[in-house]
Amino acid sequence: MESEQFGQHISRRFNDELENLRSEVLRMGGLVEQHLDSAIEAITAGDSEMGLQVARHDHLVNQMEVAIDEECNRILATRGPAAADLRLIVAVIKTITDLERIGDEAQRLGYLTSSLAAQEKPQGHYSELRALAEHVQTMLHDSLDAFSRLDSRDALQVVEEDKLVDEQYDMITRQCISLMMEDSRTIKRFMDVSWAARSLERIGDHAQNIAEYVIYMVHGRDIRHLEVEDIRQKMDMDRAS
Amino acid sequence: MMSNVWLAALGRHAAAVIIGALVGALYGRPLAGIFIAILGLLIWHLFNLFQLERWMETGNLSEMPAGNGVWARVFARAKYLDQRSSANRKKFRRLVKELRASTKAFPDGGILLNENREIVTYNKAARQLLQLKRKRDRGQRIDNFIRHPAFVAYLDESERGVQEALEIPAPIGGKWLSCRLMPYGPGQSLLFITDITHAKKLEAMRTDFVANASHELRSPLTVITGYLDAMGHDEECPEVWAAPISDMREQAQRMSRLVSDLLQLSQLESASPTPLDKTVDIAAMLTSSKKEILAHSQHTGDVELALSSNARLLGEEAEIQSVVSNLLSNAVRYSPDEGRIRISWDVDDSGGHLSVADAGIGISAEDIPRLTERFYRTDAGRARQQGGTGLGLAIVKYALKRHDADLEVISELGQGSRFICHFSPERISSQS
Repeated sequence: MESEQFGQHISRRFNDELENLRSEVLRMGGLVEQHLDSAIEAITAGDSEMGLQVARHDHLVNQMEVAIDEECNRILATRGPAAADLRLIVAVIKTITDLERIGDEAQRLGYLTSSLAAQEKPQGHYSELRALAEHVQTMLHDSLDAFSRLDSRDALQVVEEDKLVDEQYDMITRQCISLMMEDSRTIKRFMDVSWAARSLERIGDHAQNIAEYVIYMVHGRDIRHLEVEDIRQKMDMDRAS
Repeated sequence: MMSNVWLAALGRHAAAVIIGALVGALYGRPLAGIFIAILGLLIWHLFNLFQLERWMETGNLSEMPAGNGVWARVFARAKYLDQRSSANRKKFRRLVKELRASTKAFPDGGILLNENREIVTYNKAARQLLQLKRKRDRGQRIDNFIRHPAFVAYLDESERGVQEALEIPAPIGGKWLSCRLMPYGPGQSLLFITDITHAKKLEAMRTDFVANASHELRSPLTVITGYLDAMGHDEECPEVWAAPISDMREQAQRMSRLVSDLLQLSQLESASPTPLDKTVDIAAMLTSSKKEILAHSQHTGDVELALSSNARLLGEEAEIQSVVSNLLSNAVRYSPDEGRIRISWDVDDSGGHLSVADAGIGISAEDIPRLTERFYRTDAGRARQQGGTGLGLAIVKYALKRHDADLEVISELGQGSRFICHFSPERISSQS
């Protein structure tokens, strides 16, 4: 059983290749998810050793990106895919770029951990940062799930989520600024906190991009830079026709 | 053997043909008479066949034609078969329903996978634990949903055989899951998923408690040993107190050793796996450890050091050092002073092997599996006399676990023992 979209080739090998490609992307996604999880754990627990480990392991993500990219090129060159298959390949190439960027942001969070761990912890132990992190993690998880299910509705939900992440990020930035004005000795610490929040917000954007590629893959429509309402209308139109 | 019905049917057919022939003979055309009789019989059979076929298509029992002659018997048989199979079907359906209900009530998640790791079916608990979607997720690969690298590696490895359960964080919701893959039948396997969040929490609480308790015990102990040291050196102290004070000092030292072992153990338990970017020079470490025993213990026997490789190990130096010193101090403690101790380090295709062998009292077979338990003693009185804390091998076990290594114990009572640490090939540094 393959998902219907890619299960209609006469060549059984081609089906397998596309399925394997999808699995490889999700495998890379799993690795990135784990890195992000460790980075967040490290930053909230102040475990600098763990943070540095995340940073050191970033090359694994990069290796996977290169390997998947090569596989995509090989399929493009030898199979000459068309229609839905071509969209899959294009979406995969874009998705791994975003995943790799998420890996880079996780690496940055890892480095920030060692800087933050050396300083005094504020009350509440970065609870706002933690809330933002959890939100972003859920977004990444949902976008990868949508990728594996080829579910454009779920993907659209992720796109909508990004607005909330932006709001949360704004709130943390404002909080940091007011705390820095209160006590100039904390500037260094809250600069680091706002850098971490910035990284998390970027990860949210990348997760949103992945969700958009899923919609592109399923509907063949480029929905970047469109309003959510317009996208929904177009998707309903596609379904009706 | 032909039954009576068939004999009667044969008779009736013959009679029809004969009557046809006789009637035909009356008109001088006996052959035409026979022909008409056979034609009549053929039409009758065809009609009955037609009825049978139509009934089979509708399958309606009430419309079952009665038929006559041999056809009555055929219809009766068909009706009997149909009733029996529908009763079977009902029974089967009830069985499937019961099975479904029971897997639904099962508190652990179960997922059936085919040879491509695609989901065939799953129960309610699995759906809730992994947040799968009804029906739609069948046919998807399981590693598309549980993407944790450890789980993917576990799937890859389990193709080679059954493995221990794996503990991973759930894809979402902050839970911890224990997964176990059991292959059965050709290419199929069953994935069991259990929610172990609660157990994990309890374990974390226990580790925290031990760490906090030993930390709190440390400072009072420092004060006590400090005063005891001062009293021991005080010349004005009455002679009668000398022995008790020296006893107290000894016990206080033992206690602080215990506390620091407990602290080390809890740190080893909770820490993340050791980095792969630091190397440990095993050969140098073993050489200096050997010198240390010869210098600082009352051991007078031969200490043999066999280094067949100077390969370095990827890991944390301090932890490997504590593994070596714990194994060596055990070897000294449990063998006679003149006993021979052999230390070796060699590397082959299966990885690195660090071995410490002594010619001491040995360990009985039933004690070996329990050796690494905390405070487990084969002979309580003796070990304490020798100054052990009872935590040494537990520390060895956890330190090795953090280096993806196993501890093997080969021993027999009275024959001495051999402790071998097996490190995987990935832990051996390529450049030496």
